[in-house]
Amino acid sequence: MSINTKLKIKWRIKGEAIFKFKNAVIIVYSIAMEIMNKAFNLKKNKTTYAILSSNWCKKSFLIFLFISLGFQAQKEPEYNPMFFDMKKEWLEITKDSILFSFKSKDTLIYHNLRLLSNKENNPRLFYADIKTPVCADGECKLANIKIYWNLVGNYVGYEIYEKNPLTKNEHDPFVKKDYKKLHKLLSDPHSILKLKKITDLVDETPLALNSLNALRGIDAVSGATKKEIKESVVKGGLYSCYTLWHLVHGDVYTKMNGFLKSIHSESLNKYFLYSPYKEYQKYALKKLTAIEFNHHTEQVLNIFKNSSPLTKGYILKKFPNKLLENPLVIKQLYNSFSKLDINTKTILIDKLKKSHSSAFKIVSEELTTLTKNQLKNYFNNLRQKPNLIKSRIKSNIVKTSSSKKYPYNYMAKKFLNQLETR
Amino acid sequence: MKHPFLIILFSILCTLNAISQKDILIEAESFINKGGWLSDPQFVEQMGSPYLMAHGMGVPVPNASTKIIFQEKGKYHVWARTKNWVPGNWEAPGRFKVLVNGKTLKNTLGLHADWSWEYAGKIRIKSKDVDIQLSDLTGFNGRCDALYFSKSKKAPTNSEKKLNSWRKEKLGETSTPQKQKAFDLVVTGGGLAGCAAAIAAAEQGLKVALIHDRPVLGGNASEEIRVHTLGIYGKYKRILKMIDTKHYPNGSYKAKYDQEKRDATIKSIKNIHLFLDWRAYDAKAEDNSIKYVDARQTSTGERIRFTAPRFVDSTGDGWIGFWAGATFSYGRESSNTYGENWDKWGELWSPEIADNFVMGSSVLWQTEEKNETQTFPTLPWASEVAKDHEATSGEWYWEFSRNDLHQIHDAEEIRDHMLRAIYGSFSNAKKKDENKKFKLQWVSYLVGKRESRRLIGDHIYTFEDVKKHTKFKDAVVEESREVDVHFQRNLKVETAPDFLSKAIFYETEKYYIPYRSLYSKNINNLFMAGRNFSCSHIGLGGPRVMLTTGQMGAAVGFAAAICQKYNINPREVYEKHLEEYLELIEKQQQ
Repeated sequence: MSINTKLKIKWRIKGEAIFKFKNAVIIVYSIAMEIMNKAFNLKKNKTTYAILSSNWCKKSFLIFLFISLGFQAQKEPEYNPMFFDMKKEWLEITKDSILFSFKSKDTLIYHNLRLLSNKENNPRLFYADIKTPVCADGECKLANIKIYWNLVGNYVGYEIYEKNPLTKNEHDPFVKKDYKKLHKLLSDPHSILKLKKITDLVDETPLALNSLNALRGIDAVSGATKKEIKESVVKGGLYSCYTLWHLVHGDVYTKMNGFLKSIHSESLNKYFLYSPYKEYQKYALKKLTAIEFNHHTEQVLNIFKNSSPLTKGYILKKFPNKLLENPLVIKQLYNSFSKLDINTKTILIDKLKKSHSSAFKIVSEELTTLTKNQLKNYFNNLRQKPNLIKSRIKSNIVKTSSSKKYPYNYMAKKFLNQLETR
Repeated sequence: MKHPFLIILFSILCTLNAISQKDILIEAESFINKGGWLSDPQFVEQMGSPYLMAHGMGVPVPNASTKIIFQEKGKYHVWARTKNWVPGNWEAPGRFKVLVNGKTLKNTLGLHADWSWEYAGKIRIKSKDVDIQLSDLTGFNGRCDALYFSKSKKAPTNSEKKLNSWRKEKLGETSTPQKQKAFDLVVTGGGLAGCAAAIAAAEQGLKVALIHDRPVLGGNASEEIRVHTLGIYGKYKRILKMIDTKHYPNGSYKAKYDQEKRDATIKSIKNIHLFLDWRAYDAKAEDNSIKYVDARQTSTGERIRFTAPRFVDSTGDGWIGFWAGATFSYGRESSNTYGENWDKWGELWSPEIADNFVMGSSVLWQTEEKNETQTFPTLPWASEVAKDHEATSGEWYWEFSRNDLHQIHDAEEIRDHMLRAIYGSFSNAKKKDENKKFKLQWVSYLVGKRESRRLIGDHIYTFEDVKKHTKFKDAVVEESREVDVHFQRNLKVETAPDFLSKAIFYETEKYYIPYRSLYSKNINNLFMAGRNFSCSHIGLGGPRVMLTTGQMGAAVGFAAAICQKYNINPREVYEKHLEEYLELIEKQQQ
């Protein structure tokens, strides 16, 4: 069996020391080979190249690396993230099992993804202790970092080995603000690095050629792109950032997601729904059936209050019509109407036709906060329920029609005029 | 109408028509001298007419003026059809005045929240020759659709239903255009798709009409919008190289060089009859076959009926299909409709329940650094949108979509929202010492749309076709660009500016679009090319860029030639002459 085939095996057996050891060997071997291959591609002078590329040199280097890294690989894992965007879930961890291996698109090196669980055997985090070469300009360095993902596969934090800090160009270690920036970068799934190839990161066009292009009227577009990249990466740590971002957001995400589906259960969904994490709540909401919506209405409404416009919109679109007939539910949904974002307001106005009549009244108090199309839609819905156009609702429309500050007061006037001429 | 003399003559004729009446309607876009005002025909379908706009980026523009002959002397009441484009608790930004024979009428205009007739004042007309001017007071996008002079104090109608017929009556317009022109193919919309369609068909000997509502060709790639062309050339490199752009940053002034190349190319092709500044306003189908497209000159109001056996809808908004009764879609299909779900992005990619929250429109802009300090005011009406966002230039992600706004029906509000975002963000940036020498150099006033109506063809192109790389037997367009779907940033972070977007990319290998997505399912002689081709919301994500839409155009142009040869409809090319069609596409590459 070739080394590559071995690497591609998905490790299913959990926790056995022998497996850990084997795995460590494989990682160290892969890293060593990758580093050496990169290093040997350098355009050194012939003598140096001959020495470096000789077999004994490769083997010695491998043994050295194996000893130094292999020793670390056998240590008991400890969890103490430098950055962590959840509560301290890592304190609960008592079980650490290898799930599968993954790699980044730019290397052949595989890393193990582990599932961290608590003493009740409930999964809590995904985790990987990554050792990967970071290569630039023919020079390779080893980046050693422990990555944490939440159970829906989103990056949540990282940890480094104190004695083995991340490094920038010229082997300068990362400083505090660099680590912070790296965390920010890894937290952004839409990073500009996503579609960049490693060759796209630096403009290596000689200055003279750029000047020539300028004379020809050709634009140096890479300048603009580089600026965009520069803003989001650690200064001097471009390749570390690039390599790590692609590891964190690459192939591993799909695998984590597939695994989550395989362990999905009602209790896990409940844990997600009642957790304080927006991504978990979103995942749970997506899995909720109409009946479950009824069972968990209170929590769904809690989530609605504190979620992003995207989640609010999702909840409203999925909200069972039957529940909208309940005045208590309506009260909770519509009571904060004036504070809601425009997109959510639009959906709530659209839902009026299916809602308990009290919703019309609540919105009528806020007519002067509506956009032109929202007001138009409110009136359209109200026309379908003409018996509601009385007392409080009507007086609010009259008030709106005479509001000097509200630019669409003329629409309210028009609506009232139409009522009279009917 | 290419000669300026003819334009003036036509304006005078229109005026002469008006003098027979005691009341006179003057369309602002027909002013002989537009001064610094710009003609804006983008929203005709919503507000009724092209209009003049004072787009001075904060500097009042020179007066627009015209000469009118009045038959009767006496006292006239004057109204201007206008709007306050940012109603609110501040001074209206687009204020202007009307001058008659050098006298400024009493009322300031541009104050009411919606398009309506605002009373400008009264004036005594003492001679037949009357000079009328529009005087911009702010440089911030004041707008005037028309002026109305009447001896009666009764204001003209504001009723949306009645206004159109009232306008026709006042202008003495007949229901049918008096001029009629016949072609082998009528292409409406001169973006990349329309240009490529016209070139391909003309090369094959067809007499082609290319109708475009702007003075320059290229649509989103034009120097008026300045988006660079993306995508691959497929089998049409020879054609697309005549009309594409270099990869300069979006918004770059360098768009003008490609503009010159594109316009010169199209004008040099003998079989293309180019109608620049003509906007189609109707299309009529009988027995599911379009008989004609009616279009109007955007300044003079002159009209032509274009007849042809076949038509291409490359309007972007699918107007020809819409008027003719072609089936179309708008909005985001539910993820189950075509199996377009992507778990990772959920609702941002494809919603569980269908909605109308499509990708937004962009308005690009640029600044320049001068040697001296440049001032720019603080604008409360712009700050409301920009909030504390600072910027000195725009890019593709300056994009606006909101779920209460329709990208076609509410396009004016969308454009105006972007103008507020731009002015407000620039004003914020100007407060910093480092930007004190910056000046607005160019702000587009045209909406660069991404998504609107999609006309339904025999095949609806979807995400599944991308994922499977389906090599249709009638594949005529190919693309390897990632599928790229945008969402507004404030959906995830409520406090983010509502005029900025983010993109979700689905990386893929080459995918193919079948010919069957390029003709209408129910209108027998209608092709479509451009963003209004037959696809789903996600299906549009990849091929919406301009080299791909250009490929669609070229493919359609060659198909039209096969149709012409056998006197058949577009569907029959697929059913009976596919081999010959594909061969034609292969051969034309040399």
